[in-house]
Amino acid sequence: MWAYFKWEFRQFFTNKKNIAVYVILLFLALYFAFKVAPIYEPIEKVDVAEMEARFTTRDDFIKSVGNKTNVHPAVGYALAIFPQWNELDKARIEAIANKDYLKYVEATAEWYKYSDAIIVNSGQLFYNPLYYTYGNDFGHADGHYGYGYTGSRFTGYAEGNPEFSLELFEERTALQTLQRLLNNYLPIVLFISCIFLSVDIVLKDRRNPSLLKGFPIADWKRLCMKGLIAFIGSVMSFIPLCVGFVIIGLQNGFGDFSLPVPIYSYIEKTFTNMSMGTFILKNALFISVWILFFIAIILLLSLIVKAEFINLFVSLIVIAAEWLYSNRGMGAFTDIQRYPTSYVQVGQIISGYKNYIYESLHLTYQNGLIIVGSCTLIMMVFTLIVSQSKRFKLIA
Amino acid sequence: MRNILKTLFIIEKTDRKNIFACLIVALCIIGMVVFANATELGNPIKEKSSESLPVKVALNKFQIVDASEYGDGSDIYKNIVKQYYTYPKQRMALKTEQPALFIETAIVLTELRKQAFEMDDYELIAGNLPSKIENEMDSSYYKYLKEHNLDLSFGSLSFYPFLAFLFSVVGSFWFILICIYSSNIMIDDFRHISLIKGYPIAFSQYVLAKCMTSIGIVFIFIIELIVCSLPLIYFNGLGQASYPVAVFNGEVTIYPIYKYIAISIVYMICLAVFAILLSVILNVILKNVYLTIFVQIIFVVIPILFPGLIKLIPFNPFNYVNFPSVLNGDSLNLAAPVTLNSYAGLIYLCISIVLLMAIIKWFLSTGKLQKI
Repeated sequence: MWAYFKWEFRQFFTNKKNIAVYVILLFLALYFAFKVAPIYEPIEKVDVAEMEARFTTRDDFIKSVGNKTNVHPAVGYALAIFPQWNELDKARIEAIANKDYLKYVEATAEWYKYSDAIIVNSGQLFYNPLYYTYGNDFGHADGHYGYGYTGSRFTGYAEGNPEFSLELFEERTALQTLQRLLNNYLPIVLFISCIFLSVDIVLKDRRNPSLLKGFPIADWKRLCMKGLIAFIGSVMSFIPLCVGFVIIGLQNGFGDFSLPVPIYSYIEKTFTNMSMGTFILKNALFISVWILFFIAIILLLSLIVKAEFINLFVSLIVIAAEWLYSNRGMGAFTDIQRYPTSYVQVGQIISGYKNYIYESLHLTYQNGLIIVGSCTLIMMVFTLIVSQSKRFKLIA
Repeated sequence: MRNILKTLFIIEKTDRKNIFACLIVALCIIGMVVFANATELGNPIKEKSSESLPVKVALNKFQIVDASEYGDGSDIYKNIVKQYYTYPKQRMALKTEQPALFIETAIVLTELRKQAFEMDDYELIAGNLPSKIENEMDSSYYKYLKEHNLDLSFGSLSFYPFLAFLFSVVGSFWFILICIYSSNIMIDDFRHISLIKGYPIAFSQYVLAKCMTSIGIVFIFIIELIVCSLPLIYFNGLGQASYPVAVFNGEVTIYPIYKYIAISIVYMICLAVFAILLSVILNVILKNVYLTIFVQIIFVVIPILFPGLIKLIPFNPFNYVNFPSVLNGDSLNLAAPVTLNSYAGLIYLCISIVLLMAIIKWFLSTGKLQKI
């Protein structure tokens, strides 16, 4: 058993294709760290000029019409909401000028809550213009999410009191970048590399059957070993990505594991904070379950269909399926929570973003683990049953 | 030569992969037809209704001042205000189905945007407006419609416009598809060398025959694209084959739809030949399906990751593999803007095909490989 493990292990890591996958991941990590990360422009950045422009405009307005009576209702409304807004803006500007970051954090958290409360149902006031890009029909909804997210984040900073820096406020530190990527395409990159790493793990043996017939080991034990090695190999694809992580950390600081990560709750329609450590652990667990899922699919298909092409096609379809049916707000009238493919974007499930865009209550972390995990178990049991049958031998 | 072609044809005909690929292509196209029909793709009433929101937001970036002709607002502010007040007219034209009025307002809008590009502080609102080249293409499209008194259709896409849309969508990842499809073209031969050795034929001729059968299947794909979209004739009618499409080709020009489709097909065939030849060479060098796919994808991705390279090496055929974006003038929106000409792209592709053939003929057929 141990000898077979070593033999498979060596084959896995000397396979030209697998080395190429690791090299490509390394290249992507370096490209991201050097080219993409430095030009990241968050919408909610610390922009004193923007705050000052807003402040002076409103200040002028209040000064010019503030002491008039008999004004238009819209003007009256503006006069009612602007003074407090301006106070918060003023506090932010002054705090940044004095480098009093704690005060800035508190004022900013207040500012986002206040702005969101006023803008969300208003037809005349808007979120940051960058949300309303040309061709985006959901700018207002995105803005609502963005403001709530940032507000909750800054509340978390005020409570947790981490080491403040502008990089921290703009989510540029290494851990925060990791968190942003987990909410974005990082899970998909990991899954695709897992698929490419394990796609030929069973079928490669069919090329040299006489060599492998000599091993005195049962088929299902072999499959277990292969699955284990594919899992280890897929988890190892983190290593080349870590290079990028370290580079970003050296440039912008690493951040720490107690930083708040805002989580959207669909029931209460508000954000609560989770610590960075918990968020990353949860993601790691979910991603591991998904990796097992893909390995189980590939093992099963390799036994039944015996074509690498099909392995690749089916597993990529599982990843891409969500794009085929996804539509904003569809969770309200369809049962998307029942398809495992709805849970591919792991980070977005955990942070509740999927609940927000699909308007669905049920797309939760627990449901995802149960659904994906049970699918994996079913496929594994199936694989074991099939491997007992004489018809589906590993080596022809 | 005829015999080997016949043999290969019989092999390919029964290959599971080919049957599967043809089925998938057919299913995807039919899926797109259903999708286009269900979402009323191309229906301007649905697609133009939310266009005014970004302009409204752009307006919010300015202090509200007098926007009349001699008012003290800045030029760009006045321009945005004018744009903002043109939209209601356009919406009304759509709702009451008055094509002439719609085209007129569309031209006014493109003119206003064109003026805005020249003004100070344009960067402030650049994200909320279409890019310069998009605007220019819209402008010449609507002007052409007006000059030739063509009617704008208010329904969803009919057959010919859908074909143009389909080719522009499929075209953008066509090269990758063919790369993946042809990535194992020579691998099986390496596994059963003794079989191949029996053919009484030279290596280069064998490769030629293999490529020809693969290209035959590519032709089947292209025919499938057209045949599977025929159901749209039943749903939305045939449409006009001479309806204009705005295309960037060094400068903005107007092509009739049939010309656009013809160019797309020529491009697709060239790209397919290029991909197949490249696969042959990489197969022989690397002897691994996945490495072949990775190398091809790296070639495609490098100009996208490093846009500066496009300007540096304009004759790189991989700049042109996404030909719909070349025809859209997307290369002008890059950080380092560069004009890519679609005809030049075709010429570069043909030259590279000839080069690849020469490599196969003179390098690959010598030495060890002669034996297979």
